[in-house]
Amino acid sequence: MKIVVTVKLVPDTTADKRIDPATKRLVRTGETVLNPFDEYAIEAALQLKEKLGAETTVTVVTMAPERGKEVVRKALAMGADDALMLSDPGCEGSDVMGTAYALAGAIAKNGFDLVVCGTQSTDAITGELPGALAEFLGVPGLTYVRKLEIDGTTLRAERETDSGFLKVTTGLPAVVSVTKSINEPRYPSLKGIMGAKKKTIAPLTLAELALEHPIGSGGAKTELVALTDPPARGKGKVVEVSSGAEGAKVIMDFLHAKKLI
Amino acid sequence: MRDVIVFIEHSAGKPRRVSLEIATKAKELAAALGGKTHAVILGKGARAASDAVKAYPVDAIHISEDTEIDAFLVDPQVDYLEAVARAAGPALVLVPNTMAGRDAGSRLAARLGAGLTSDIVDLSVDSGKVNCVSPKLGGLTITTCAFKGEYGVAAIRPNSFKAVPGPGAGDVNELTKPAGKSYKMKIEDEVVEVAGELGVEESSVVVSGGRGLGGPEPFKTILKDLADALGGAVGASRAAVDAGWIPHSHQVGQTGKTISPSLYIAVGISGAIQHKVGMRTAGTIVAINKDAAVPIGEFADLLVVGDLFQIVPELTKAVTSNAAAHT
Repeated sequence: MKIVVTVKLVPDTTADKRIDPATKRLVRTGETVLNPFDEYAIEAALQLKEKLGAETTVTVVTMAPERGKEVVRKALAMGADDALMLSDPGCEGSDVMGTAYALAGAIAKNGFDLVVCGTQSTDAITGELPGALAEFLGVPGLTYVRKLEIDGTTLRAERETDSGFLKVTTGLPAVVSVTKSINEPRYPSLKGIMGAKKKTIAPLTLAELALEHPIGSGGAKTELVALTDPPARGKGKVVEVSSGAEGAKVIMDFLHAKKLI
Repeated sequence: MRDVIVFIEHSAGKPRRVSLEIATKAKELAAALGGKTHAVILGKGARAASDAVKAYPVDAIHISEDTEIDAFLVDPQVDYLEAVARAAGPALVLVPNTMAGRDAGSRLAARLGAGLTSDIVDLSVDSGKVNCVSPKLGGLTITTCAFKGEYGVAAIRPNSFKAVPGPGAGDVNELTKPAGKSYKMKIEDEVVEVAGELGVEESSVVVSGGRGLGGPEPFKTILKDLADALGGAVGASRAAVDAGWIPHSHQVGQTGKTISPSLYIAVGISGAIQHKVGMRTAGTIVAINKDAAVPIGEFADLLVVGDLFQIVPELTKAVTSNAAAHT
């Protein structure tokens, strides 16, 4: 079985993220890391592979500039078999729909039985790529999965809801997105890290995908018209209290003054 | 874009408040675009929900109680939404930024070749173009994006607009079943773990706990009691979720949910950047912590320094007696 995991390079969550005022794009020259949510997707794929046997392969796919290779290596060090990297200047400026469309092209070209995505990325936080990817691939798209099993060609999953979960079954091929609840991602072992250096990261260009519609900034269906700073949120009042009742009174007075109760 | 279509999420015939917030805003947008507003209500209870939606300024209400909508995940909803969108012509489709809303919205956008924006906190129309405002990079910057094509789909963050009843034609139209469709994602069972609670995304008051709570018990007792007294939801920091004290669906922050309640009470939470990005757009932030030097003190409107195990139960009592005095 062919499992494909989508991964994204994101700015380090501890680094200072900023947007270039001229190009209105995220400055990606700073420290980049593997999107934390994608580690759960890789782990889920690796656990499936362990259950399903050696004929199952896990391929990582990403859309990123060349220098993203080091981040892709982390996925390979965790245990993925190989990687496909769509590095093309024509991808620059893609919005979420363009990204999903191009990734769908790359995944379709590679072939797949199951695509596993993280729930969302920590930079854009749209959570909308998995659904769009499923639609472009023309297969079921099962999101927010916290438990995943494959039984022949049937996929059984628990899908999170606000109040609990749904038990859902579907056939393959399919796209799933997994939440943090599904597993505890492994750390790459030293052997894994050494082995990752020998694994293939195959480059892919837009020309090879021969997509019907344009992507990148020219194909984007949305345009950025303005960037503003968020309203300043300054330091408020600090009150030290010596009893529970005093603390409660301070808060009640404050909430009354703000007309919140 | 001319008409505005609103996807009404409902639970057994009761519309989620965020859907009504969006329906209210839709009227203003449709007026600026010179179009009509449509509400789409799908699944069991759609007719009952349409009665509630009629009180809001909606021109046309499209419903279907087709049993396949509740038997299969997402796909039937997308087919019905697509049918309404295609019949309306170039349109703006608004969905709630909830799990169900994002699911339906992302698939619909791909199918319509539409632009897609998410976590939108404000919308406006400028020279016929629809502008969507959204905090990005954890609220470090606010982006305004416009749609370029004929269709646009925007996922709206709960608590961004007020739901205000108003006059509208409210004509109810029963949708015809899309022909030649078969569905694969079968819902075998629904398991309810926390009944009757609004999620942290949607509640206008959220009471969150962190490492300072010391274990799972206080989430179920003192924190839950305070949240209940305020009519709010219980949230949590990553530290509490990673420790297994409370399920991930309650997590607020970068690897959890990004929310804008009108009141956020952070109990025993230090307020590291990973948490801050999930709640910095709350209306008012109150923190209770034993340490006066915690990072949350730099952006909370009020930081009360003291013993949370004493303050929280006293606060619950005060809120309860205050509520009793006003009824």
